[in-house]
Amino acid sequence: MRTTITFLLLTLTQMLLGQTTISGKVLDEKKQPLQGANVFIDGTYDGSSTDANGNFKFSTSVKGVQILKITFLTFETLAQNIAIEKYQSQTFILRESINSLDAVVINAGMLEAGDKARVSVLKPLDIVTTAGSAGDIVSALQTLPGTQTVGESGRLYVRGGESDETQTFVDGLRVAQPYGASANNVPTRGRFSPFLFSGISFSTGGYSAEYGEALSSVLLLNTIDEPVQEQTDISLMTVGLGVSNTQKWKKSSLSVNTAYIDLAPYQLAVPQAVDWNRPYQSLSGEAVYRYQFDNGLLKVYTAFDASRFDLNQENINTNLKDRINLNNTNLYFNAVYKGFLVNNWQLITGVSYGLGQNKIDLNQDYVTNEENALHLKLKVFSKITTRLKLSFGSDYFLTNFDESYKPLQKGSLRTGYTSGISAFYSEVDYFFSKKLAFNLGIRASNNNLLNASSVSPRASVAYKTGKFNQFSFAYGKFEQAPKADYLKYHSNFENEKTQHYILNYTFAKEGTTLRAEAYYKKYADLVKFDSENPVYSSNYSNSGFGYAKGVDVFWRENTRIKNLEYWISYSFIDTQRDYRNYQQEATPSFVAKHTASIVTKYWISSLRSQLGITYNFNSGRPFENPNTDGFLNEKTKSYSNVNLGWAYLISPQKILYLSVSNVLGTKNVYGYEYANTANQQGKFESKAIVPTASRFIFVGFFWTISADKKSNQLDNL
Amino acid sequence: MKKSILTLVLVLSGIFAQAQNQYEQGMNKAFELWKTNNTTEAAALFERIASVEKNNWLPNYYVALVNTTAAFQVLNDKQKLTALLDKAQESLDIEFTKNPDNAEILVLQALIYTAWISADPMKNGMTMSGKVMEFYAKAEKIAPNNPRVVFGKAEFEIGGARFFKQDTSAMCAQIEKAVALFSTFKPETVYHPNWGLDRALEAQKECAKK
Repeated sequence: MRTTITFLLLTLTQMLLGQTTISGKVLDEKKQPLQGANVFIDGTYDGSSTDANGNFKFSTSVKGVQILKITFLTFETLAQNIAIEKYQSQTFILRESINSLDAVVINAGMLEAGDKARVSVLKPLDIVTTAGSAGDIVSALQTLPGTQTVGESGRLYVRGGESDETQTFVDGLRVAQPYGASANNVPTRGRFSPFLFSGISFSTGGYSAEYGEALSSVLLLNTIDEPVQEQTDISLMTVGLGVSNTQKWKKSSLSVNTAYIDLAPYQLAVPQAVDWNRPYQSLSGEAVYRYQFDNGLLKVYTAFDASRFDLNQENINTNLKDRINLNNTNLYFNAVYKGFLVNNWQLITGVSYGLGQNKIDLNQDYVTNEENALHLKLKVFSKITTRLKLSFGSDYFLTNFDESYKPLQKGSLRTGYTSGISAFYSEVDYFFSKKLAFNLGIRASNNNLLNASSVSPRASVAYKTGKFNQFSFAYGKFEQAPKADYLKYHSNFENEKTQHYILNYTFAKEGTTLRAEAYYKKYADLVKFDSENPVYSSNYSNSGFGYAKGVDVFWRENTRIKNLEYWISYSFIDTQRDYRNYQQEATPSFVAKHTASIVTKYWISSLRSQLGITYNFNSGRPFENPNTDGFLNEKTKSYSNVNLGWAYLISPQKILYLSVSNVLGTKNVYGYEYANTANQQGKFESKAIVPTASRFIFVGFFWTISADKKSNQLDNL
Repeated sequence: MKKSILTLVLVLSGIFAQAQNQYEQGMNKAFELWKTNNTTEAAALFERIASVEKNNWLPNYYVALVNTTAAFQVLNDKQKLTALLDKAQESLDIEFTKNPDNAEILVLQALIYTAWISADPMKNGMTMSGKVMEFYAKAEKIAPNNPRVVFGKAEFEIGGARFFKQDTSAMCAQIEKAVALFSTFKPETVYHPNWGLDRALEAQKECAKK
């Protein structure tokens, strides 16, 4: 009897307090029950977790319209208004969060390195821990598929494209002069020290509508948003020295990096195949200043470098040596603001300015040139929902080029041009589900010098076929104004154009990445001229054309053998083009049909050492031999190079680094130069283009000073 | 009948008392769940408490702590690890912006990064270990005698020192100091952070081995 009364009383109190039972079921998109989801009335203690069948049940004393919230790891939080009194048991479907690790990624054409990349081919650490790259970002990228090893140039050649078909951007803004100056067939380096950048995206095709003025490829470098700590790095190398320092304040920080490189002492120790009057010498400095506003971030990046060299280069035509004395100064400035606007909209705006000056003394004929390049950028974008992203933007590129040529004997010639390119683009990213996503974009631009307008659509779609694998496809039209070499003489051009079709397969599992890509690229409206070299009096046209097709494969793995990390790249390419002064369609001399690289890094704990070996191979490259019939149909022998790098940690912050290039001493030939006229026997004489040194040895000592007593420069070696 | 009225009064007053102490009851239950290894439910309950107690940093702190400790158990399961640490970070961020100078929150932030580093030292070590030290340095300035600050910092430093076979006596002395601090540490309320002694004792044993 008493229990009955107690029971009644309890029920009564429940009714007095007006308890309502809320129950239901939580499923995922495949209608499978979710266990452990947190279901509750927002702002109350009332709730419970779902059981193994996805069921939940709890009572609440609140009334009226309330927010029922369901949260669960890796799923989107669901918030739904319910009227407590009228609530009936319901089934809720949670959608998987698109931000989760295993969502599909639109990645056709893209090779990423960095913290944020989901499918990254390189880790930030080894952007440049690659043996043989000697701290040059570009050399490290040349171990990736889709690139050609063009040893005598040192620049990026992507999928049958010339080096200037790749456009470089720092924090989204163009770098008009990405490489240091160099003489014919003496390799150059990229200007940027790896240590100021946190992420690198290298696209070998099919890139976003945000980027224009690039026929083949874009290289996107992002500076660090917030440095980790205050630190000083000191580098003492056989080729020079470097110092960098980072200071942090409450809302701002400054990183400065300076380097002095002088090849003269090294030259004395190890003679090279180049006859230097004054070996390469350069002084460079970079600085990044960052200021954190309440809802935005300002980054200002400045880089300056001055370099010079003076050499005598054999000339096959005169049997004399040409003296080339070159002074190059370059200034690059870039300011970017990224901030939040209203309603989830974000803004990125910035300006970049590049000034490149060359003073070249060519057997006492003086050439001076100057390029001023300005880029203004504005972009607004918003994640409308977790699945839909919209962006709009515009660019303005202003380029002014001026060259003066003063021959020893007489007169002078001035050439130059000014062009303004304005462009608008818009892009939409949409995830149908965690498995299927697409990106559509369109870019419209106008070049006032050429008086040419163009509209370029871009599209990509990605579909996940399994837990670890996905396919993606990209298509795009790309255009670029002809380069300064032609524009300084002639401006009645069209833009040069390409179309890319890319099919990508990616398998990415913890510790293993396989990426295979097939592509077809069509070139149109390439510049042609009718003389030995492009000159004032040449006849120019846009009648050139060509194609490139091929397969790129990348494999990276680090789990099978402890402490061993390696990657293998292989590229096959079939390309022909009729451009410049070509007599017919032919494979250009910078293209090898097969290119492969193997990069290994082995950590030996007992020796506190990282041992790196890099192997590069490419099949023979075409060259034109005027002594034979046909055009560009002879091939060099194949190229191979083994580089060795050894980093030894003396203490956590002191590293000794030794690297040796071409360990096996292979005699490589990049190509041949032929005389313009035949000798008395009716033969055209030739000269092999070979590496400036058959072997390069580098020793450096790297010392980091910071509060954590742990950081070091291992990742910059 | 008298008895029934008494029961009614008791039940009613019990319910009112319950209403007043819902916070304590919830916290007690959550701790109970956590102790009995029901981590998902413990985190869920802390999350519900956080949805009510908007001016109290503890519930979200515990959502983050429960998920971070759970993450240390699944260092090899990257997907799970990422889910847990993302949840931890998300919850801690809510309180971090409100209390940027709370030593306990700084320690927990350092712990989240330590979990990332432990899961993939090659990838995260370089980028995150500086941050961890920065958080401990900041916490040390605010609360130099908080045992979790002293111990956390020493434990993080000792790993690197052992690798380079450097002298660890300075860090062992700090661990010693932390153990002493743990015995005198008085949390503000029973719900304030008061964990870490067991790990400190273990570390102390490691130190004694040499």
